[in-house]
Amino acid sequence: MNPSFKILFVLIIALEISFTSIVSLNVALIVLAIIYLLAHRVPIKTLAWLLIVPLIPAIGLWSTQYINGTGNNDLFAWVLFTRIYAFVFTGAAFTLTTDVLALADSLEQNCHLPAKFAYGVLAAYNLAPRIKHEVQVIRAAGLMRGQTLSFWSPQLYFKAILISINWSQNLAQAMTSHGFVEDAPRTHFRIVRVHTKDWLLLIGGILLLQVGIFLVPWR
Amino acid sequence: MASIALKHLSYQYETAQTPIFDRVVTEFPAHQFTLLTGPSGTGKSTLLQLMAGLLPLPKNSGTISYDHVALSSLPVGTRSKRVAMMFQNPNQQFAMDTVEHELVFALENQQIAAVEIEDRIIQALTFVGIQKLQHRQLNHLSGGEKQKVALAVIVAMDSDVILLDEPFASVDPQARQSLIDRLVELRDQYGKTIILADHDYAGYDAVVDHVVQITRDHQLRRLPKTQWAQFFAAFRPQSLPSWPAPAPEPTPLFQLDQVALTQGNHQLLVPTTLQLHAHRNTLITGANGTGKSTLFEALVRLTTYQGAIRYQGKDIQKSRRKRYARHVALLFQDAEAQFFNITVAEELAQSQKYAYGDYFTPAKINDALTQLNLAGRDDQVIYTLSEGQKKKLQILLMLIMQSPVLLMDEPLKGLDLKSINALVTLLKTTLAATQQTLIIISHQLTGLTPLIDYHLRLANHQLQYIGGPTNES
Repeated sequence: MNPSFKILFVLIIALEISFTSIVSLNVALIVLAIIYLLAHRVPIKTLAWLLIVPLIPAIGLWSTQYINGTGNNDLFAWVLFTRIYAFVFTGAAFTLTTDVLALADSLEQNCHLPAKFAYGVLAAYNLAPRIKHEVQVIRAAGLMRGQTLSFWSPQLYFKAILISINWSQNLAQAMTSHGFVEDAPRTHFRIVRVHTKDWLLLIGGILLLQVGIFLVPWR
Repeated sequence: MASIALKHLSYQYETAQTPIFDRVVTEFPAHQFTLLTGPSGTGKSTLLQLMAGLLPLPKNSGTISYDHVALSSLPVGTRSKRVAMMFQNPNQQFAMDTVEHELVFALENQQIAAVEIEDRIIQALTFVGIQKLQHRQLNHLSGGEKQKVALAVIVAMDSDVILLDEPFASVDPQARQSLIDRLVELRDQYGKTIILADHDYAGYDAVVDHVVQITRDHQLRRLPKTQWAQFFAAFRPQSLPSWPAPAPEPTPLFQLDQVALTQGNHQLLVPTTLQLHAHRNTLITGANGTGKSTLFEALVRLTTYQGAIRYQGKDIQKSRRKRYARHVALLFQDAEAQFFNITVAEELAQSQKYAYGDYFTPAKINDALTQLNLAGRDDQVIYTLSEGQKKKLQILLMLIMQSPVLLMDEPLKGLDLKSINALVTLLKTTLAATQQTLIIISHQLTGLTPLIDYHLRLANHQLQYIGGPTNES
């Protein structure tokens, strides 16, 4: 599916389930997302992590609602619990099966977003591994001067921001030097097309979602 | 084509007191290879950035023109056909993830037709000799490979003028030679104009057509050919005094056991077993890009390595980070990495607060500040200091800490002779009292040699002591 269509679909799902309270629908979405992920050969280990990591906030929400909630607190506790997982798994169904470069290409070519936006995001994404190392360097440098910088130290962020500003300037220069000009026309080597199939999938998916929300008499 | 003329070019940073260039008039002839020289901090990078149009030139500060057309009136969209630049830091010149994607990005920007792009990419990669890197992740390449990719991008863009800003700072000697050969071919076969800034002049005398110096009075001066012999001779590698190699001891400061270092798929150091000794100062030399800084990163646990490193008999991976960092500190090459506060006084106060020993009393710190010509700057914001002042302050801050071991990565880089002498004097008096151990990576050896006891050299992926065995047992 076209990456821009895919992200739009996931956003619509997220928006709609934020305003509905149907446990079975959430579960159905989770199951569909898992099937989709398995079909794309996402490792079982990754799926296991997706199940474990949201457990704490999910239980937190569940218990808050269950203990303190008013009215139908039992139902709403489960709605919130499953909703978190629905967000996580539909989100993963997008991120784990979509190439960032393909998304950038599609946003630029199909959605006509400014190239600056598409490539800026892409460049930042590609810098991410180096940022992790840089944070390690900042913390080590701090220790060498007797200062422990924990993850909530303002100084850690101050340094990180200084470095980011510096990097973003260098990156802008590098992009300019490689011929990038804001809002200038560009050619496209990797063409991303919107096929009829993409429209059908998107519209079909949205319709199915409405059927699930408004028509199916869950329980 | 593409000769470049500078007419009455002046430039001054907003925060600076003096201009970097003062009504410079000069011309860089087409199809020729010019070496741009001058000490660090004199404005080589600034000049290249101005010429590439990466820094805007304020009004009334002269003109930069390509074949009599002012750079400012060249349409931005076609500038990359005229001029392209290769940067010093190989890690910060790519926007994409793989080699091929970066090349595609550049060619798309130039609006090359999609059908033509593939051929151009193959040609450029073949020219630089890196076809096998086409689908590789840029993050996984060594410094030398990244700079080759940067050159391939410029070749693919077919820019008339190629500017290079100290491009070999993290490139090993073989890759450097291969890159210089390609540049010569670009000039001779394709008529490119090349301007390269470097502070290491080795190997250029046979290939460049011009040598241009940035002078102390903020002008550009072309060095007459008659002075070349003398000029290049001054930069032949200095012959170092020979120090004795240390005798093995049962309890060394550091024990390296089969330690190997890699960068991406590139081997920097083959498995090496070696000792480093306490209360002695060890100098580490070796060409750019051979892995000296990576070795330091391994010693302070900022990079992974194979084998084991023991500090005072204990595997450094098993020490608590905090405790280990108080014992073994690194003076980073980039001075700003070591700053955590806003003003000079705050930085000094922090170092004093956490210092490991009490040698540096407030009086001693004041003396040191005077000695380093940093006195009276207590309230100045560190980030407004000059590069040289930052470096001196950084070294003082780390000396005040008095960690038992201080690893210094190019501590004298970019400093003038007066500052170097002041620093070496300070180091000598401090070491005499604090008995710290220094391990120093340095290209700049003037003035430093009296401090050194042992000499390690990193070459051909081997790290070895240079010098005869000691007779003492």
